[in-house]
Amino acid sequence: MAERQRELRVVTEAETKTHCPYCAFQCGMAVTVTEADRSRVSVRADDDFPVNRGQMCIKGFTSAALLEHPERVRSPLMRQPNGRLVPVSWDSALDFVAEKLAALRRAHGPAALAAFGSGALTNEKAYLLGKFVRVALGSPNIDYNGRYCMASAAAGQNRAFGVDRGLPFPVSDLAETRTLLLWGSNCADTMPPIMQWVAAQKSSGGALIVVDPRHTDTARAATLHLQLTPGTDLALANGLLALAIQEKKLDRDYIAARTEGFAELERSLLTSHPAFVERLTGVAIDDQLRAVRMLADVPSSMVLTGRGAEQQSKGTDTVLALINLMLALGKVGKPASGYGCLTGQGNGQGGREHGQKADQLPGYRLIEDPQHRAEIAAVWGIEPSALPGKGKSAYELLDSLGEGGGVRGLLVFGSNVVVASPNAEHIKKRLGALELLVVCDAFVNETAESAHVVLPVTQWAEEEGTMTNLEGRVILRQRVRPAPSGVRTDLEIMRELAERLGAAGFRFESTEAVFDELRRATRGGKADYSGMSYAKIRAAKGVFWPCPDSEHPGTPRLFAERFAHPSGRARFHAVKYRPAAELPDHDYPLYFTTGRYKEHYNSGAQTRRVAALVDAQREPAVEIHPRLAARLGVLDGELLLVESRRGRVEFVVRVSPDIRVDTLFAPFHWGGKRAANVLTVAALDPVSRMPEFKVCAVRARAAVSSPRSTL
Amino acid sequence: MITHKRRLVIIGNGMGTCRLLDELVERDAARRYEISVFGEEPGGAYNRIMLGKVLGGDAPDAIVTKTPEWYDAHAIRLTHTTRVTRLDTLRKTLETSDGQHRQYDVAVLATGSQPVVPPLEGMQGEDGELRPGVFVYRTIADCLRMRAYSRSGDSAVVVGGGLLGLEAAKALSDLGLHVTLVHVAKSLMNAQLDALGGEMLGRQIERAGIFVRTERTVEAVFGDERVHGVILNDGTTLTADMVVLACGVRPRVDLARASGLPVNRGIVVNDTLATEVPGVYAFGECAEHRGTTFGLVSPVWEQATVLADVLTGSKPRARYTGSKLYSRLKVAGVDVASMGKLEPELEADQVYQIIEERKSAYRKLVIRDGRLIGAMLVGNTAATGTLIQHFDRDEPLPDDPLEVLCQPRATRAPAARLVCSCHKVTEATLVAAAEAGADSVAALGEVTKAGTGCGSCKVELEEIARKHGKSARSLPTVASA
Repeated sequence: MAERQRELRVVTEAETKTHCPYCAFQCGMAVTVTEADRSRVSVRADDDFPVNRGQMCIKGFTSAALLEHPERVRSPLMRQPNGRLVPVSWDSALDFVAEKLAALRRAHGPAALAAFGSGALTNEKAYLLGKFVRVALGSPNIDYNGRYCMASAAAGQNRAFGVDRGLPFPVSDLAETRTLLLWGSNCADTMPPIMQWVAAQKSSGGALIVVDPRHTDTARAATLHLQLTPGTDLALANGLLALAIQEKKLDRDYIAARTEGFAELERSLLTSHPAFVERLTGVAIDDQLRAVRMLADVPSSMVLTGRGAEQQSKGTDTVLALINLMLALGKVGKPASGYGCLTGQGNGQGGREHGQKADQLPGYRLIEDPQHRAEIAAVWGIEPSALPGKGKSAYELLDSLGEGGGVRGLLVFGSNVVVASPNAEHIKKRLGALELLVVCDAFVNETAESAHVVLPVTQWAEEEGTMTNLEGRVILRQRVRPAPSGVRTDLEIMRELAERLGAAGFRFESTEAVFDELRRATRGGKADYSGMSYAKIRAAKGVFWPCPDSEHPGTPRLFAERFAHPSGRARFHAVKYRPAAELPDHDYPLYFTTGRYKEHYNSGAQTRRVAALVDAQREPAVEIHPRLAARLGVLDGELLLVESRRGRVEFVVRVSPDIRVDTLFAPFHWGGKRAANVLTVAALDPVSRMPEFKVCAVRARAAVSSPRSTL
Repeated sequence: MITHKRRLVIIGNGMGTCRLLDELVERDAARRYEISVFGEEPGGAYNRIMLGKVLGGDAPDAIVTKTPEWYDAHAIRLTHTTRVTRLDTLRKTLETSDGQHRQYDVAVLATGSQPVVPPLEGMQGEDGELRPGVFVYRTIADCLRMRAYSRSGDSAVVVGGGLLGLEAAKALSDLGLHVTLVHVAKSLMNAQLDALGGEMLGRQIERAGIFVRTERTVEAVFGDERVHGVILNDGTTLTADMVVLACGVRPRVDLARASGLPVNRGIVVNDTLATEVPGVYAFGECAEHRGTTFGLVSPVWEQATVLADVLTGSKPRARYTGSKLYSRLKVAGVDVASMGKLEPELEADQVYQIIEERKSAYRKLVIRDGRLIGAMLVGNTAATGTLIQHFDRDEPLPDDPLEVLCQPRATRAPAARLVCSCHKVTEATLVAAAEAGADSVAALGEVTKAGTGCGSCKVELEEIARKHGKSARSLPTVASA
């Protein structure tokens, strides 16, 4: 029946295979545009794409609603002296931006210019943006919102394995593993189609463990839920390994053959007593023990982390502790086993491989490695000495905006930093201190409200390019319909600006021509794309990197034989527990943590404009335990005023026994007066520079409209 | 600007020092101090809590937390197998038993504690040393000696039914010895458990194969060149090839006394862990803070953190104001947890006790003003994680405090939860539909429209159909009576 319907559709309408614009699962979609009316776009899940296999969530299902959205920007906008944004021509907008950039550079040096990128950008855009900042602007300052997303997992994997690919195996391996541990991931809400693999795993008799301070929809499906205290993930991870040692569950042969550094780690864990771990985390020793046995006593097991474990000021160490555990159990590199990260953003993976990060160059090269610099300089036709050094990380970059910090002109591509950054009110003030803020986006989002210039860009259905999904599978986004008049691609904007600034090397005949240069730039790097082409990706439904030559089929699974360090061995890291940067105290006695709704995506810049999604989830609510709600004197649906040392927000109350009694939760998809990130703290992980979105201290009381009470 | 490094000397190399060194290294103390450590035992620091492993047969190295190489790598001078006998706090020098003299600027006493050895008749041999076969249980060396001496089939008497005594009894029992535990009080672990708790523990310990005799003391030890048994105060004679003394510990203050430092029960320190003598600090089991001495590791670690904050200036205003008492352990296979007060003190204090007579399990809560001021759990410790967090933070208990003893999720999530967000279908609606006969994903979709939008809830629909559909309900829910 479905088959027949599809055939019928193909006869009368053009159907194009592409991918969802949202998360890293990058569901395959079949998009149909009616020949007669190109504005009518319908979307269905692609049954043939091996990742989502015909499933998709409500976000993808409704994604076409943004294409013809009435609020879409269809002409460049410039801020007038009266404070309003008014439409101008492309030439005058680009001339203005280029002149201003040049003037700021003359007056204050190239480091006064910066760009902020996004995990939503295609590989081609991420690559060209890195090149644009370093070559056309000559500045070291480029970073992206992936720093708020997977940076801790990336840093941890690089240290332990010598390479960072979100999942070192295809997502289908999830169905094969005997024990699956999801740590700090509520993927039932954040990545719903992945649950088919979890369901398959469970129905074939596998066990599911979920670690989360909330009893989420994902936890509801679990065999064992460890509802730990926010910010104590590292203690629990270390504790599990200490218990595994005590219970003699280690694979000593594997440790000897494939790893290094275990002796030091083992000694450091001697003081990680289960009783201390229980006291810190609230997770009963018996449950710790059950988890260890479930992971160790089976032929295959895997741990996948989400932002819960990673978005902490010790996120990198937490990831390392979990990798330690899986290495010590001898699981990494075995079939359907090991460690992986559930990448968040659509191209969070590719976005960190091609030089969009302050410390990196294409091919996952390091900007401070002389050989890596020389290799990229050769591709770009410049002297290695002309290549700037390491720039500021995302939050530090935004924190340095304005006269005092040194960055005076900022270009933002595909990111809504005002909503997505911690300590958001502070960041809004910093943006206000800029002499030039250019926002490239399809909508006037909260960040664009401070912009001097808004440049309207194409959306997913109107462009082509590659994305690298959570598995490290490079896939092809195909054009479904032409761009509406008045908008341009990010690539065109970079080219126009580069040429106005007198830089060569930005004129490409097609998007694939950019990809071809990217491929050359990645040759010999860790994330090697050099053997790929659009045709090859299209035919194979995606190619896993590394793919070093055109005959190479790609690499679905890593680590079966060796790790990417020169020794071929994985490295253990002795990582010590430390508390969160801000703990509840007398004045701010509650934990506050943030997360997502199924119906919204990141800063909500897109999803808050889709009627069906807003209808399903209209506003952010603060989740609160019935006992705490009773103590504070608030009822479901009333307003709760939540305050941290950085700001205050009024949330609607949602009473639920699913949350710990000492913790409040709110989603961060909204801006303005409902922005959860007004409350969060900008404590950064020392390695990944990831902010601590998942834990800070707050106090709460009924808002004036409700009966008063203070805690 | 620091022109020369100050000399920081730490006397004692136990668990407290191990933690203090970590805290100092973390605060980059080497920029300010040349650090030296004196330890009486050979080698680096080890985890005393794990001594039972060594007694049970593990290599001593398995519990060593810091090897001598670690000290070298961190430029810390370790002098082990050496006892410090005196500090000259005016000249700021110290003197060791082998006649060394060392200058210091800041001295930290971390001399720990020593076993209480009751003066039992016949305990010592003619040379004044413990008679062969009589042991104390405190160091790696003690464990190795006991291990070398013990043979399966032998009999052992352990004197003292506290934490250490129970641990030693279990380890010896596991080595195949016939073990009798003699304890002076009415019930075991009387510092951590009330009489009922101790009795429940005693029953479980006996079930595990150890004989327990409470309310008795050892009057005399007898034997020749080796021990052959003990005589109890009730007149009973027990033959024994080994006698292990685990009668508690007392702060080691001999060095402090010899150096003229103020000593009460322990070395007297204030909230900065300083003694009243300039340049001399003390912490850990040897120290007395606000009239209290500690024998548990958590308070010692908390003190180490404060001391490191003060000495390095990383938080010069850090203060130690006391610790909440908490013990959590597995004794002879029985889980035990104890926190705070054992008994109510005020008329208004509330007490809850749950006795599982047949399982010999016991749980008790002591509550004041709706907050937990004490709890003990024997044999059923699943709620410990929740209880200790309530205790640590003075978190109000539920109106019915027994709720905290149950699994955290006594109540199910509200059925108003959206399962299908496309069509806003709640769990309650779906369950009702399934119960009314819609027992497949397709049928649920037809009735409620759930799953007919994006389809991402189909997995959950399947589960609801399976659990609540007609075919599910026709199955017997209980296999047999």
